[in-house]
Amino acid sequence: MKPKVAFFDFTCCEGCQLDTLNIEGQDLVDLVSAIDIVEFREVHTGKADHYDIAFVEGSITRESGIERVKDIRARSDMLIALGACAHIGGINCLKNHLEMDEALEIVYGEDAKYYDTIPARPVSAVVPVDFAVPGCPINTAELLRVVKDILLGKTPSLPNYPVCVECKMAGNVCVFERGGTCLGPVIRGGCNAVCVTAGRHCWGCRGLVDDPNLDSQKDVLKEYGLTVDQVVEKFKIYNTYSEVAQ
Amino acid sequence: MSSIDIKVHHVTRVEGHGNIVVNATDGVLEEVRWEVPESPRLFEAMLRGRHYSDVQHIASRICGICSIAHSTASLHASEAALGVKVSEQTRRLRKLLFNAEVLESHVLHACCLAAPDFLGAPSVIPLVNTHKDVVVKVMSLKRLAYKLADLLAGRKTHPISCIVGGFSMLPDLEKLEMIRDALIASLADYEALVDLFKSLAGEIPSFERETEYIALKDPNEYAFISGDIASSDTATVPIDQYRSVTNEFCVPHSTAKYTKNVRDAYQVGALARFNINHEQLHPKAKDAAVELGLKAPCYNPYMITIAQVVEAVHATEDSILLIDKLLETGVTKEPETAEIQAGCGVGAVEAPRGILFHDYTYGGDGILTEANCVIPTNQNHNNIQHDMEALVPTILDRPQEEIRLMLEMLVRAYDPCISCSTHMLQVRFK
Amino acid sequence: MREHSVLIVDDEPIVRESIRDWLTEAGYQVTTAETGEEALELVSARDFSVLVVDLRLPGSTGIAVLEAVKAERPWIRTIVITAYPSAETAQEAKRLGAVDYLLKPFAPDDLERLINNTLASIPPEATVIGKAEAPVAVAAPAEAIEVKETFVVDREGLRRLFDGLASSMETIGAVERQGRFVFDRVKQFDDLRLDHDVTVQSPTRYLFPARETMLTMELGATPKTTPTIEATPQVLFGVHPYDLHAIELLDEVFMTKHADPNYISRRQNTVLVGLDCLKPAPKAFAPSMGTDRSDTGFDLLLTDLGGRFMVRVGSQRGADLLAQHTTTTAPTDQDIAMQHSLLDEARAAYGVSLQAPRERLPKLLDDHYDDEYWEERSETCLSCGSCIMVCPTCFCFDVVDEVALDLKTGERIRKWDGCMLTDFAVVAGGENFRHDKASRFRHRIFRKGKYVLERYGMVGCVGCGRCATACLPDIASPAEAFNAIAEKAKIETARRLIGVAAPEQDLYTPKPAQLLRVEELAANEKVFEFAFEDGSTLGHGPGQFVEVSIPGIGEAPISISSSPTRGDTFQLAVRNVGNVTRAMHNLEAGAVVGIRGPFGNGFPIDELEWKDLVLVGGGIGLFPLRSLIQYVLDRRDRFGEVTILCGSRSPADRMFEAELAEWSKLDGIQFLETVDRGDESWNGHVGVITTLIPGLELSPAKTTSVVVGPPIMYRFVIGELKKKGLADEQIVLSLERRMKCGVGKCGHCQINGVYVCQEGPVFTLAELRNLREAV
Repeated sequence: MKPKVAFFDFTCCEGCQLDTLNIEGQDLVDLVSAIDIVEFREVHTGKADHYDIAFVEGSITRESGIERVKDIRARSDMLIALGACAHIGGINCLKNHLEMDEALEIVYGEDAKYYDTIPARPVSAVVPVDFAVPGCPINTAELLRVVKDILLGKTPSLPNYPVCVECKMAGNVCVFERGGTCLGPVIRGGCNAVCVTAGRHCWGCRGLVDDPNLDSQKDVLKEYGLTVDQVVEKFKIYNTYSEVAQ
Repeated sequence: MSSIDIKVHHVTRVEGHGNIVVNATDGVLEEVRWEVPESPRLFEAMLRGRHYSDVQHIASRICGICSIAHSTASLHASEAALGVKVSEQTRRLRKLLFNAEVLESHVLHACCLAAPDFLGAPSVIPLVNTHKDVVVKVMSLKRLAYKLADLLAGRKTHPISCIVGGFSMLPDLEKLEMIRDALIASLADYEALVDLFKSLAGEIPSFERETEYIALKDPNEYAFISGDIASSDTATVPIDQYRSVTNEFCVPHSTAKYTKNVRDAYQVGALARFNINHEQLHPKAKDAAVELGLKAPCYNPYMITIAQVVEAVHATEDSILLIDKLLETGVTKEPETAEIQAGCGVGAVEAPRGILFHDYTYGGDGILTEANCVIPTNQNHNNIQHDMEALVPTILDRPQEEIRLMLEMLVRAYDPCISCSTHMLQVRFK
Repeated sequence: MREHSVLIVDDEPIVRESIRDWLTEAGYQVTTAETGEEALELVSARDFSVLVVDLRLPGSTGIAVLEAVKAERPWIRTIVITAYPSAETAQEAKRLGAVDYLLKPFAPDDLERLINNTLASIPPEATVIGKAEAPVAVAAPAEAIEVKETFVVDREGLRRLFDGLASSMETIGAVERQGRFVFDRVKQFDDLRLDHDVTVQSPTRYLFPARETMLTMELGATPKTTPTIEATPQVLFGVHPYDLHAIELLDEVFMTKHADPNYISRRQNTVLVGLDCLKPAPKAFAPSMGTDRSDTGFDLLLTDLGGRFMVRVGSQRGADLLAQHTTTTAPTDQDIAMQHSLLDEARAAYGVSLQAPRERLPKLLDDHYDDEYWEERSETCLSCGSCIMVCPTCFCFDVVDEVALDLKTGERIRKWDGCMLTDFAVVAGGENFRHDKASRFRHRIFRKGKYVLERYGMVGCVGCGRCATACLPDIASPAEAFNAIAEKAKIETARRLIGVAAPEQDLYTPKPAQLLRVEELAANEKVFEFAFEDGSTLGHGPGQFVEVSIPGIGEAPISISSSPTRGDTFQLAVRNVGNVTRAMHNLEAGAVVGIRGPFGNGFPIDELEWKDLVLVGGGIGLFPLRSLIQYVLDRRDRFGEVTILCGSRSPADRMFEAELAEWSKLDGIQFLETVDRGDESWNGHVGVITTLIPGLELSPAKTTSVVVGPPIMYRFVIGELKKKGLADEQIVLSLERRMKCGVGKCGHCQINGVYVCQEGPVFTLAELRNLREAV
C-alpha cells in the first residue's frame, strides 16, 4: 500500500516544495509511483482527510497558522518538517529581533494596524514533529533518502557531523584559510558543503549539530577577525531560534 | 436565476496563498473578490542592519521560484548603491543564469500549473500516466535549466555564487559546452511543446480586456536584466524613478496596496513583455509565436501562458548565443570588490512573472539601512481584480463550477507568486 | 594458457636461445627467427599468441615487423625488446599496439611473467568497472627492484614523461587553488606544481577515495550482491616522501590479512612518481617521524635540482616507464652533491620536531593514559573532523546502503568516517562508547603514536602537518600532544631523580625467617616450615612464591606450599636440585634464612569460587598445588564439587602421604591417585595421571581445572580436559621459569613480552594461547 503523502506550506518561499518537484526526472516518476500524493496545493487540486506522511514547509508566524498546523498534525501519522523554516524557523526568525509593531511599521507605515504577526517559530514549537529534512533549500537527495528509509521500514537519520566533514570530502580549501569566516564547524552536514564548494561560506541553514561547541566556534570566529557583535549577527540569520533557546 | 456562491480557499496550482470569492443573487453580482491572505514576510525589515555580503543571500529567500530574479535585482540595487561596477563577463554570466530561471519557471508554469486545466486534469501528477512522453520532456527541460543554474551558481534555488561585483566561482567550460549541446537538442522538445499548446488552443478562453502593460525595455535586446521602464501608454522612465510608475497607495477601509500608473491598473509579466518587446525576440521564438497565434498587442490574460512558452524558446536561443560567446572569450577570475561607498540604488529585472524592483540604501560601512521591494505579482493583484470584475458578469449564466474554474484559470494564468508578496492584499468590491 | 605459442625475433643467438629455453621450460611453444623477413614469413604462415621482437634487426626492422603483424594478425600480443631505448621508438611501438617495451638486459623470468600477465589480461588502456570474476588490468606488476638506479632528466624530458603517461592514464598532481595547493587532475604539464610545501589533502584520497561503491545490489525476496571494483589507470605525480610512507602504511592495512579488492585494484593501477620535499610546510615535522625521505614505495622519485631533476628508479615499472617515455642522462658529481645539500637544507628547515624519540611514544602515552592533558586540551575541540579528513594515515570508514526509489536496486557505499566525530562509537541502542571529546581526542593521539605502530609495525603519523593547519582551535597536531606528554614525563622523571618518589629501600633485602621444622618427603624432597623472626606473617595467596636467600650461596625462587589459612607460619616444599636448595636441605631447625616476597599472581581465587574444581598435581607440581588444596578445604563451602587428582612416578616417590590419606577420606571430595608404575606394595591405580581424567563426570560449564606439574604432563592433561569440554579460560596452569629478582627487572623469567614473576606464574590456557613461547 502506497503511503498517503501531503505537502503543506506556511510562511515560506515555497522553494523546498519546488525543488521536490524538480527532482531528477526519472526519480520524480519513481517517487510518484512509490507514494500517493493526495494533497499538494502548489501543483495539485485535491484534498484528503488523513495522511500517512505530512510534509510541512514554512514557519508559523500567525495565530491562524497555529490552528492550521495543529489540525494537520491531528490528521497525520507522521509529520516531517521540510526545510529550514519549518525545522528551525529559518530566515523568518530574523524579524524576531525587532518588536513586531516596529517591523510592521517599517513595512506598512501607517497601515501597519491592519496586519498581525507573531514572532516566527519552527513547527516543532507548536506541534510534535517526527522528523526534519533541514536546509534552505532542502537537499532533495536527502528528502529522497528519507522517503526511501520510511518505505523500507528504517528509521531515517540525519548526519550528526558538521559541514567540515563534507567540505573535506569534496576537497575544498577551508574558508578560514582563504580569508573568510564560516559557521561550518558547528552546523549539521548533509548538504555536501555546496555553499563552500561554490566559493562562499556556510551560513548555517541546516541548524546546529546535536552538541555543538559554540564557545569554541565563537572564539575561532573572533580569532579570525570578527567582533562579538559580528559573530552574533552571523548566527542570527538562520539560528536565531536555537540561539535564543540556548 | 439562482444564487452563486463561490469561495475558493487557497487556489491550487499557484505559488502562495490566494482566495477567490464571488457572490451573486438572481443574476446580480454582489461581490467579486481576489484575496491574498498571505502572511506578511517583512523582508524590508529583516534586511535592515545586514552587511552587503549577506543581503543577496537573504533577499533570495523572498521567493523559491524566482530566487535568481530576486538575487539579481538585489545585487543590482546593492551595486548601484555602493558604486560597484561589474564586468562584461559578469553581465553575460548573470544573463545566462537568469535565462535558466526563466526557462524553468515558464516550463513549470505552462506545463505543470496551467496546462492540466487545458487537459482536464487536477494536476500534472496523473499526466505522468496519461501523457508520459510530454511529462518526461517537460521534466528534462526543467532539469536542464537546473543543471545550467547549478553550474553557474552552485544551486538553482537560492543561488550561491552570486556576489556583489560578480561571481565567487566560475563555470567549467567543458561542462558549459555540454549544456550548450543539450540546449540545442532541447529546441526539438520545445517544438513538441509548441505543438501541444497549439493543439490546445481551443481550450484557452477568449477574454479580452485592454489594460496598461509595463516592462523593461533595452534597445539592444529583449530585456530581462537591463533597460528602462517602458509602458504601452506612456514614455520610458529610468528605473530609479520606479515609484512614479508603481505608485503604491492604499484604499481606505481596505488593506489594499494598489499600484496603478495611467489607468486603474496595469499588467506585468510575459504578455506585457511580449506586447512591448516582441520585435526583439530571437527567430525561433518569433516563429513559435506565429505558430501559437500570439500577436501583439494581445489583451487576453489567458494568453500569458502562451507568451511564456514563446519566451522559453527565446531564452533557449539566447543562452546558446551567450555560451558561444563565453566559450570564445573564456572566463577569468576577477578580484573581489574592494571599494564601496554609501548611497542608494535601484535594481530592476524582469522576473518570470514581471518587473521586479529592489531599492536599497547603505551606509559607508556597507550595512543596509533601508530597503523597499516591489514584487511583480503585487503589481498584478489590482489587474487581476479588474479582470475578474470584467469577466464574471459575462459568464454569470454558466454553471457555478465552470465560473469557478474560469476564475481559477484566470488567476493561474497570471502565474502569481504570492508568497513573494511582502505586502498583504485584501480587496473589496462593492 | 601454457600451450600458447611465442615467436622470438632477435639477431643475437644467445638472446634467442636463452629466451627459447626458458619459455619452453615454462610450457610455451617457442619458435625463433633471426631476421625480420624470417619473422614475417612465419607470421604469414601461421598464428602466434605472442611476438617478442628486437627493434634492431638486420634488414626489416622490428618496427616493420610490428607494422606487418598489426596489419595481418592484429590479435597477436607484441612485446618489444631492445638495448637502445628511445622515446621515439617507444611511442612508435606503442602506436603499433605493442603491449610493453623491455630493456635489455632483462631477466628471462621477467619476460615470462610479462607474457603470463599479458595473456591473462584485458587491454590496459580500458577503464574497467568489472565484477569480481573479471581480472583487473595492469600492464606489469610494480615490484621493487634491488638496485635503485638514478638518472637526471631536464624539464623538457620530464614534460615528455608526463605527456607520455598522460596518454594512457589519468594524471593527478599538485595544483594551486585559492592560495593553497591541492591534488587534482592535471591536464597540462605546465599546470603541474612541483614546488608545493604541502597540499590541503593527501594524494592518498586517490587510493582511498572519500566515497566508493563496493557492491551493487538487487533487493527483494532473492537479493543479489555483486562486488564493484573500479580500476582507472592513474599516476600520482609529485608525491612527497611523507605521503609515500603513508601509502606504505595503507598498503599494509589493506593489502595484507583480508586483502581489500577495491584498494588493491586502485593501487595496482596507480603509478607513484614521488618528489622530494624541499620546502617544508610550517607545521610539518616529518623528520621526527622518519618520513621526510623515502627509500621505497615509489616507482620513480624526483628531486628538483632547479631546472633539472634527479630521478631515482624504485621499481621495474618505473624503469620501464622512464625508458618508454623519455631520455635521461647520468648524474654528475655536482648533481649528486647538490641533491645532498638540498635535502639537508630541507631537513634543517623544519620548524617543528618531537622532543622525545618516536620509539618512546607508545610507552609515554601508556604511562599518561589518565593524564588530565586530554581533558584540558580537547576543551575547544569542535568535533568537526577536519583533522582526520585531511590525514594521510587515517582510513576509518562507514558503510551505508543507498537504494533507488523503486526499491529494487541499490548500492553499498563506503565513505570516510573517523574517531573524532561525535557519533563514531555509537551503537544501535544509543550508547556512545566515546561520548566525550576528551576520550575521542585521546584515542586519536594514541592511534597516531601507539596503536598503529603496534598493530602494523609502522608509525601512525607521518608528520605532514596538515591537521595542524586544518584545525581551527589549533589543537590537532600530534607533535604538540607528544611533546606535551614527553614534557610531563620529563618532569616526572626529574622528580624521581630528585628523589621525591619513595624508593623501596628493602626491595632486594631479604627478611630473616627462622626454620621451625623440616620433614623429609621423598629421596630428594623436603618440606620446611618457616616463621618470620619479627612475628609478621608472609601474607601470601595460594600459588605465589618467595625468593629464599642463603647469603653467600645465593637466592632461589620457591613456591609456597601451604595455605595462608593455616596460621602464621608458611611451608616451602623443596627439591634438591641446585646450590641453594642443597644448602637448604642441609639446614636444621633453628637456622635462619632470608625471604623476599611473596611474588607472583597466585591462583585466581575469585574465579575459582563457586565453581566445581578439578585440581591436578603431577609430581612436585603438588608443592604449589597443596597451598590451593588446603585453602579450598579450609573454605570448603565456597566451592562446588572438588576433585583432586594426584600422580607420582612410583609409590616410592609419593609425598605428603599422610595428608593424601586424609584427603582421600574426606566427605565431599573426590580424591584419585595414580602412579606411573606400581610395585608390590601398591594396590591403587597405575597409569599416567591423564588416565584418571576420562572417567570423571563433570559439568563442563561450571568446572575449572587447576593443573600443576612437569611440562610434558601439561600437554596431555590439557588434551584430556579439552575433550571433557572445558574451555581455555577454564584451565589454569602454573608455569616455571627462572625467577631471579622476583620484581620484573632482571628479565630472566620472560615468556615473549610477559614477566612470569609479575603476570604469572599462574596463567589460564587462554592467556597462554597468545604467548607463542609458552606452549
